[in-house]
Amino acid sequence: MCGIVGLHLKDPALEPQLGALLSGMLAQVRERGPDSAGVGVYGPGGLAVRKGVGDPVALAEEFGLAGMRGHQAVGHTRMATESAITVEGSHPFSPRPGLCLVHNGSFANHATVRRALEAEGVVFDTDNDSEVAARFVAHRLDRGDDLDKALRLVCDVFDGFYTLLVTTDDEFAVVRDAVACKPAILAETPAWVAMVSEYRALVGLPGFAAARVFEPGPEEVCLWKR
Amino acid sequence: MEALTGEVRAINRALRALPDGASALVADPRGRHNLAVGLDADVRITLDGPAGYYTGGLGKRADLTVNGPVGWGVGENLMSGRIHVKGDASQSAAATAHGGLVIVDGDASLRAGISLKGGTLAVGGDVGAYCGFMAQAGTVLIGGDAGDGLGDSLYEAVIYVSGRIAGLGTDARVEDLTEDDVRKVRDLAKTCGFDHVDPENVTRVASARTLYHFSTQHHAAY
Repeated sequence: MCGIVGLHLKDPALEPQLGALLSGMLAQVRERGPDSAGVGVYGPGGLAVRKGVGDPVALAEEFGLAGMRGHQAVGHTRMATESAITVEGSHPFSPRPGLCLVHNGSFANHATVRRALEAEGVVFDTDNDSEVAARFVAHRLDRGDDLDKALRLVCDVFDGFYTLLVTTDDEFAVVRDAVACKPAILAETPAWVAMVSEYRALVGLPGFAAARVFEPGPEEVCLWKR
Repeated sequence: MEALTGEVRAINRALRALPDGASALVADPRGRHNLAVGLDADVRITLDGPAGYYTGGLGKRADLTVNGPVGWGVGENLMSGRIHVKGDASQSAAATAHGGLVIVDGDASLRAGISLKGGTLAVGGDVGAYCGFMAQAGTVLIGGDAGDGLGDSLYEAVIYVSGRIAGLGTDARVEDLTEDDVRKVRDLAKTCGFDHVDPENVTRVASARTLYHFSTQHHAAY
């Protein structure tokens, strides 16, 4: 399981409502990840990441999510499978300034990729499989790849199940594994782009009735840039 | 017609209590999962808005209309009756359906008709990758284009495609269209109101049956 929500605003008029909108979305993926939760909010002061262990709705309140403003935000609710339920193992993973990665799924070859990255000098904080994907993307960006290229390389290098939402200060990208068995629903209007694991999480967004709703295909990188 | 709102279990209990010939409308389903599952009566049900996972699954005899899109597994393991989705469907539409008819007016996502066991799935728009994966019996009609891996590991189900096919799956092949096929597609398209489907110009995809038996030639690979 695990639940993902993300909102990328195109209309600046919605920016004061960003936290409140994401908060409503996060509550709809509560059941998909009751172990821990985290958010990444791209506000006026840059990216702020908040994580905690426990009920996602209570955590959102603790973070003061509803009062946060900004142009983009991601949220994750975790049902732990690959490593312990800790704050460190909670998503988003942000191993590089401005970068956030949230993951639904499990990687089969994360130990192999970790060893390869460690051999190149990358240092890890946890034994979590999702952190390996985050460090991999950060490493590729450090090497000069753009986000689209880095995510295509994720598809080449990683084996396993994944729906990933990856954001930078000005980008919002979604990619799924070759079998695409973890949910991912995208919706777009002239005012925003949203990505969710649960359709219900979209229903409360302003102007949703007129949104284009679709699911990204296997290994298809969907990317929006400000 | 009875109009229902409330929790999923209360709605489903009320729907299953309806006698033959009754009608009911579920107002504002808001994408909730498991609505109208396990129906077993000659009833007409309308879900008036988007519905979530497994909509109408396991049903017998009932006629269900959804005025909006549906989530994963609409009509999963349907036994008989009809489900009409007036919108798009997420993954695994009509998965393992033994009988009945699932109509999707819009597009259907990945793995539509996976492991179909005798039911009929008709999609007015496009389907995603792996449509008809391991489908054992029944019919799939695609009014638009088909994604990659169409009919992978098919058994005896047959797929008809109006538009383009991105790629065939393992052991799926294109076969000549027979008069029976044309008749079958014409009847089904008419039932579904798919005026855009030309029964004489669909592509028939069925199993090449090369995976049915082990081959002694490939002994080393086993």
